[in-house]
Amino acid sequence: MSSVLSARDPRAPFSLTLGEPARVRRRGFDGVLAAAALALALCGAVLVWAATRDVSRAAGGNPNGFLYRHLVNILIAGGLAVLASRLDLRMLRVTGPVLYVLGVLGLLAVFAVGSTINGAHAWITLGAGFEVQPSEFMKLGLIIGLAVLFSVRARHREHLPPTTGDVLLALILIALPLGMVMLQPDLGSAMVLAAASFGVLIAAGVRARWTIGLILATVLVAILVVKTGMLADYQLARFASFTHPDKDLQGAAYNVHQAQIAIANGGLFGTGLFHGPQTNGGFVPEQQTDFVFSVAGEEFGLLGGAVLIALFAVLCWRGLRIARRADRTGQLIAVGIVCWFAFQAFQNIGMNIGLMPVTGLPLPFVSYGGSSMFAQGLALGVLEGIRRHSLAED
Amino acid sequence: MSSYDFTPIPLNRRRRPTSRRFLVIVVLVSSMVLTLLGRLYYVQLLEKDKPTQTSGLLHDAAIVVPAPRGVIVDSTGAPLVDNTSVQVLTVSYDTLQQRPDHGAAVLAALADLLDTSASALAAEITPCSPKVPAPCWTGEPYQPVPVAANVPSSVVFAVGEHREQFPGVAIETESLADYPGGSLASHVLGYTSQITAADKKKDPSLSDSDQIGVSGLEESYDSILRGVDGKQVVQLSPQGYSVGAGSYTAPTQGDTLVTSINAKVQKLAESSLAQQIKDSRAAGKPATSGAVVVMDPQTGRVIAAASYPTYDPQEFVGGISDADYAKLTAPSANDPLLSRAIAGQYAPGSTFKLITSSSLLTHKEINTTSDYPCPGSVTIDGRVKTNYDSEVLGNINLENALGYSCDTFFYEPEANEYYRDQARVAKGEKPLEYLQAMAADYGVGSSPGIDLPAGEQAAGSYADRETRLARWNANKTQYCADAKSGFPDDKNAADRAYLTELAKENCTDGWRYRAGDNADMAIGQGETTMSPLQLAVAYSALVNGGRIWEPTIGWAEVNAAGKVVKTIKPTLRDRVPVKQSYLNYIANSLNFSRGWAVSGAFAYLGVPYKNEIGGKTGTAEVFGKADTSWLATWGPIVKTKTGAVSAKFVVVGMVEQAGTGATAAGPMLKRIWDGLLGYKQPAVIKGSQPATTLPKLKPQVQVSGK
Repeated sequence: MSSVLSARDPRAPFSLTLGEPARVRRRGFDGVLAAAALALALCGAVLVWAATRDVSRAAGGNPNGFLYRHLVNILIAGGLAVLASRLDLRMLRVTGPVLYVLGVLGLLAVFAVGSTINGAHAWITLGAGFEVQPSEFMKLGLIIGLAVLFSVRARHREHLPPTTGDVLLALILIALPLGMVMLQPDLGSAMVLAAASFGVLIAAGVRARWTIGLILATVLVAILVVKTGMLADYQLARFASFTHPDKDLQGAAYNVHQAQIAIANGGLFGTGLFHGPQTNGGFVPEQQTDFVFSVAGEEFGLLGGAVLIALFAVLCWRGLRIARRADRTGQLIAVGIVCWFAFQAFQNIGMNIGLMPVTGLPLPFVSYGGSSMFAQGLALGVLEGIRRHSLAED
Repeated sequence: MSSYDFTPIPLNRRRRPTSRRFLVIVVLVSSMVLTLLGRLYYVQLLEKDKPTQTSGLLHDAAIVVPAPRGVIVDSTGAPLVDNTSVQVLTVSYDTLQQRPDHGAAVLAALADLLDTSASALAAEITPCSPKVPAPCWTGEPYQPVPVAANVPSSVVFAVGEHREQFPGVAIETESLADYPGGSLASHVLGYTSQITAADKKKDPSLSDSDQIGVSGLEESYDSILRGVDGKQVVQLSPQGYSVGAGSYTAPTQGDTLVTSINAKVQKLAESSLAQQIKDSRAAGKPATSGAVVVMDPQTGRVIAAASYPTYDPQEFVGGISDADYAKLTAPSANDPLLSRAIAGQYAPGSTFKLITSSSLLTHKEINTTSDYPCPGSVTIDGRVKTNYDSEVLGNINLENALGYSCDTFFYEPEANEYYRDQARVAKGEKPLEYLQAMAADYGVGSSPGIDLPAGEQAAGSYADRETRLARWNANKTQYCADAKSGFPDDKNAADRAYLTELAKENCTDGWRYRAGDNADMAIGQGETTMSPLQLAVAYSALVNGGRIWEPTIGWAEVNAAGKVVKTIKPTLRDRVPVKQSYLNYIANSLNFSRGWAVSGAFAYLGVPYKNEIGGKTGTAEVFGKADTSWLATWGPIVKTKTGAVSAKFVVVGMVEQAGTGATAAGPMLKRIWDGLLGYKQPAVIKGSQPATTLPKLKPQVQVSGK
C-alpha cells in the first residue's frame, strides 16, 4: 500500500477524489453555501411559477410549463455543480486557459451563427427551442483565466504586487471578451465581466494606482462610448429612461415603471403568493427572467425581498470565507465568482427598484433561464471544489 | 501561454491573503447589500406617491366596422354606382384558443367546407410574431380574421345551422361597389381605392380598412359618400386577448349623391359614339377616340358625358390587380382611363368661329349688314392661307361666312386686329388682343370648374404675345443649341433641315407673336385647344343669354332616410360681353333650317325637327394626323319673351381622326337628337327636356357588418 500515492500526498500530480479519507470528504462541503444557493433557486422556482402561471394560461399554454422547465434547469445545474466540485484545483489551473479559449470561441460563434433576442445578438440557437448564451460561460472562463494568470506568473514573487507586464496581460485577457460582449451588444454581461475582473485584480494585489487608473479609464471610456454612439439606440433609451423615469412611460421606461408598480404594491408583507394583480395581469414584460425580483416584491413584500437579498449576502459571505482559506489560485477564483454574483445581483435588483439602469441581466440562481443557471451551477461547484481542496491541504 | 509553468505551486509557500485586499471586497459587497435593502425599504414603505397601475386590468379596443359607401344615382333615381353585399367568413383566433383542443376540430370541419387544409387555416389566423412567420394574421389577435370572401350559400347555411360545431366562426356581410350599367359613365363616376399612408396622414380619422375615392365623382364627393365607420368594442386582457364584447356602434352608410346625369341619355351618347367610331373606321379613317357632352345650357348641369375608349370600373372594386392596371395603361390601349370629354383638349377648328364672330362684332371690326371678301386664299406675312378646298365665294356677309364656314373671311379682320395691336406695342402701349380676351371670356384657358377633381378637367389654351414671350424665355437656350447642332441624331436629311430651320427661327424670332398666329386662332387652329366640355359651356352661352356656367354633375346629397341634405347649385362664373342681338344673329345664322351643306345640318335634311336645332361643325387639322371632326349643336330652340334664342340642350361631339365635322360628328349627334326629341322612338328623356325636380328616393336598407 505504501507504493500507492495518497490523495493528500503533495507529490501526487492530480488528486483524485477516489480513495480520499472519509473525514476530508465530509468536511470538504460548505453546507451553508449550498443551502443558500438552493434556497435562492427554490424561491426562484416559486417566483417564476407565479410570474408565468396566469399569462401562460391566458395565452392557451400550460400554466405550469415554465415551472417544470425551471425545475429541470435547477436539477441540471445541481448536477453540473456536483461535477465541478469534483474537479481538482490543479486540474482547474490546466483547464483555466482552455475554458477561457472556449468562452471566446463561443462568443465568436455568436457573431457567425447567433440569433438576436431582446435586442442583443447574444444567443446560439441549438434547435428544438434551446438557445445558449456563451457570455454566461465566458464569465467563469475569464475569472479562472485571470486567476491562473496571476497565480502562475507570480508563483515566485508572491508577496509582491503583480508586475506591470502581468497587469497588462490581464487587461488584454479582459478586453477581448469584454469587447465582444459589448459588440453584441450586451451591456449587462459586459458590466458583470468588468466587475468580476476588477475583483480578481484587487485580490491579486495590484497596486492602488492601477486600481484608481482603471476606474478613471472606465469612466472615460463610458463617456466616449455614449458620445460616439457605440451604444445601440435601445440602450441609450434605457439610460435616458433611468435618468428621466417619468418620460416615455409607454416606451423605454415601460418595463421599469411596471416593475416598480408591482414592487410598490407589495408593502411590508406583500399581497401573498399568486395574489399580485400586477404579476397576474402580466403587466411586467420579461417578469420571469430579468424582472423576477418584482414578483417577490409584489407578492412577498419588503420581507420577501429582504430575504432574497440576505440569501445573496450569505452566498457572498461563504464565498469570501472560502477565498480567505484557499491557496492563491483558489482565492482569486473565489473572489472573482463572489464579485460576479454580488454585482449581477446588485445590478438586477437595482434595476427592478429603480436604482440602476435596465440592462438585460438575470438574477443569479433565481431568474428563469438555462444558460445562466448552468453557468452559476458550475461556478458554485468550483467554489465548493476550492473549499474542499484547501481543507484537504490543511 | 506556452511560457506558463503549470507545475503545482509548492504548498508550503502558500500565503494567507492580506486582510486589506479582502476588506476592500467585503466593504464593496456589504455596501451593495445595504444600498439594496435601503432602497427597497424606501420603495415599498416610505415612498409617498407610489406608482400605480393606471390601465386597469382590462382595457377596451375597438374593431372597426366599415361603413358602406353611399351610392350614386342619376337624375331619375336610377343607380349608377350601387352597393352589393358579399358574405365573408371570419374566424376568431381568441375563441378557438380557449377551446380544449385549441380549435383543431373547428378548423378541420371548416377546412372540409372551404376545400382547404386545417393547417393552412390555422396559419392564416395565427397572429404574426417574431416566432410566427408568414402566412399569419397581421391584425390584432382579438379581431376576427376573414378567411374566405364571397362564400357560397351552402357554407353559410352549414355554419349558420350548426353554430355549436363552429364556435368562433361567423358570417359577416361586407359591402362592395357594384356598377349596374357596367362601364356606363365610368369616366365621370371614377373609382375608389384602399387608403394609403399618405391619405391617413391627411385625415387621421380614416381607418386602415377604409376605401377612399381617388377619381371622378367618387373623389370629389368622397366626404359625403364615405359615411361613418361603426365599431365593436372588445374588452382585452393585458396580453391583448379578447375576454368579452362591449358596446356596438353601427356604421352609418354614406349619403346618396344624386347627379344630373341621365342614364338613358348617357347610354345613348356612349352607344352613338361607339357606333360612329365603328362607322368611321369602316370608312377608312383611324377614328382613334371621341367624346360627347350633353348639357342643360340654362343651368350648366351635365346630362351626359361620354368618352371613347372606356373602361370597366368593376375592375377597381376590391383593388385592381397589377396586371389589369398595366393592361389599362399600356400604349396599345389608347388611354381608356382618360376622360376625353372633360380632360382631353383638342383644336376646336371652325366651332371656334362662335368666339371669333362674337369678338369681331362686339369690337365693331365687322358688322352684320356688310359683305366682306371670301377669296380662295389670302397671304399674310408672306404666307398663303387657303379656305378649306380653296373655295372662292366672293363678297359675303357674316351669316354666309358662318354657314359656308369660310376661313379667309375671318383671316383679314383678325390680321388687321393684329397690326393695330402691333402699332400700339410700337407706341409702348399694351396690345388690346380682343380675340384672346373674348376666348378667355368664353372660358378658354381656365379650368372649367366642374365638380370633378382639378386634375381631371382640361383648361384649354390659346396663344398671345405674353405667353409666346414667356415660352421663348424658358426655351430659347434649347432652340439656339438645336439650331447650332442641327439635330445630328435625326437620320432623315429633309427632316433635319426642316427642324434646323425651325430651331433657327425659334432661336431668333420665337418670342414673336405674328399676324398669322392671330389668323390661325380665328379659325380655332394653331395653339388653340378646348375640351368638348368647354365647347359645350361656350355654346351654352350662345343660347342662354351669354352666361358662362361652371358645369356641375352633382345635384343633391340625400341621406339614408331619403331626405335631401343639400342641393348642389351650379355656379355662374361669368357673362360674355356680347350683345344679345349678336348672339341671336349667330344662332339664327347657324339654324339647321338653312340646310348649310358644310354644317352639320346636312345629316338632318330629312328629319322633321331640323328647324328646331342649330349647330356649327369643325374640322380641325392636326399636324401628322387625320382631321378632328367636331359638331356643336343646340335645341330644341325656343324664343324667349325678350326675343332671345334659347335652347334646352347643348350637345357637343368630337371624333379624333375621323374627317370633317359633317361626316362623323354630324351623324353621331343626329342619333342622340333622335333619342332626345323622340324621333321614331319614345324620347329617352322625359318631356324632351332636362329634369327640373330631384327624384324621390326610397329610404335605404342599411347594409352593415353585423
